[in-house]
Amino acid sequence: MGWLLLAPSVLLIAGLVLYPILYNVWLSLFDKHAFLPAQAFVGLRHYQYFATDEEFWSSVRYGLVYAGATMVLQLGLGIMAALLLNEAFRGRNLLRGIVLFPYMIPTIVAVILWKWLLNDSYGLVNHLLMASGLVRTPVAWLGKDYIMWSLILTSVWQFSPFVVVTYLARLQTIPPELYEAAKVDGAGAWRRFVHVTLPQTRNVLFVIVLLRGIWMFTKFDTVWLMAGEGGVSRYVRTLPVYAYARTFTYLQAGMGAALAVIMFALLLGATALYFRLFRDEEVVA
Amino acid sequence: MRLSGGTVSRTTTLYAGAAGLLLIGAFPFFWMLSTSLKPAGEIFATPTLVPRHATLANFVQLFRETNFAVYFRNSVLVSFTTVALTLVVSALGAYSLTRFRFRGRETVAGLILMTYMFAPIMIIIPFYILVRQLGLVNTHLALVLSYTTFCLPFCLWLLRAFFLSVPLELEEAALVDGAGRPRAVWHVVLPLVLPGLIAAGIFTFILAWNDFLFALVLITSDELKTLPVGVNDLFNATIVDWGMIMAAGVMITVPTIAFFAGVQRYLIQGWGAGGVKG
Repeated sequence: MGWLLLAPSVLLIAGLVLYPILYNVWLSLFDKHAFLPAQAFVGLRHYQYFATDEEFWSSVRYGLVYAGATMVLQLGLGIMAALLLNEAFRGRNLLRGIVLFPYMIPTIVAVILWKWLLNDSYGLVNHLLMASGLVRTPVAWLGKDYIMWSLILTSVWQFSPFVVVTYLARLQTIPPELYEAAKVDGAGAWRRFVHVTLPQTRNVLFVIVLLRGIWMFTKFDTVWLMAGEGGVSRYVRTLPVYAYARTFTYLQAGMGAALAVIMFALLLGATALYFRLFRDEEVVA
Repeated sequence: MRLSGGTVSRTTTLYAGAAGLLLIGAFPFFWMLSTSLKPAGEIFATPTLVPRHATLANFVQLFRETNFAVYFRNSVLVSFTTVALTLVVSALGAYSLTRFRFRGRETVAGLILMTYMFAPIMIIIPFYILVRQLGLVNTHLALVLSYTTFCLPFCLWLLRAFFLSVPLELEEAALVDGAGRPRAVWHVVLPLVLPGLIAAGIFTFILAWNDFLFALVLITSDELKTLPVGVNDLFNATIVDWGMIMAAGVMITVPTIAFFAGVQRYLIQGWGAGGVKG
């Protein structure tokens, strides 16, 4: 009876997640067209190819820049916003709801919104910059020089709310007595943050960094929608986008699969290292 | 953290920060709405905060001259089917995980949690080939199955927590009173886990409504496309008609925000139990 009720869940997850993962590893050993059934065994040749593939290495670099920069900014902005929303003021609950919106909307909306704000000829950002005299000619925010920054801005706006809500949930459970005691000891705001808030929120930060790190490194839709396939896309071509392009643009499914395996291996390695470096035995999430 | 300094400066800092957050969170949406209501002449002139001559022309054009209404209908259809299927499958699974002891239960629970970490991009290639072999490419069923599968790990864990909070004695009491197990579950357990079901439903709806990657890969014909891919096509088709694109943005955003505003408290509850991915 127990198994029977669980069967639909297990079947779906095994069939549509676990089986594809294994099949993906198998596929990476073949030369396979994305649509046609023809395939030929090539062993580890795809992996050898990528070892010296300039496009691959640049996609890893772009991926690290993108994930790294968005992570730092999301954490900074997210934590500051959460601290603010933990204070008592009028309209707090409404604001707590509003700051979540960017995380709830489809990526396509976030992207068209920022593409419009950053539009070189008619965008509000350039208009304000020129009206205030900060720049003299319009800046091509979506051109090759600034596309990475625009992508980072859009992503930070879209994904910071996750940090806000998760961090705020933990902040609300810190006993107020801890702050009272620190105050009696004469600790200022900064010292109370460092000596009370940070130690108390260590575990939730550990989880936030882990999840956001994995999700930013594997982010596809924001990156792809922001830069498209041609033109400036090669200045923000991260590993997920490269894997997609190999499969569905060059139609080399075997090579795409190999890139997915590499992505998985990189994440697994990074996660293991992360646990080793930052996981204390004494703390339990 | 309590900000130091006098009460006045503390209050000022607080409200300045709140205003800043409001600006970041809400202004882009306001600007989208404002642009969608402007006639073409105003969009390409010096920007004004609110339209001088507000018009619904962009919305009319969106529905008359593009396939937007079809994309919208497809998105509604796919999202609600996904929600229904996911809730049934995950409620059954969560009930099983909390009410029955059987071999391999913990292993299965652990494996399910692990799949939560996987990003769709890492399996989209074999997934696509599999769907092709099953003959499901270019069907809404393929989308529903993908979304259900990707929502399951989260919904199972969320509902598991809710089922665990229902005391076994309540259910047993109903069984002793002569009710069969299905009736006991329907009348005693389900009402108590309703907030969990609502939270799981919202998460599923948002994931299905927002998805871009699966819809991009699995759907090829225009009349089957869902909103994110359809709107991206509109955006790429010709010279961008910003008024109409912003109108499309407004139309996609409204259901999510309406849904979200209506059930915000359940959502926050669900967030505490595990969070959504994205």
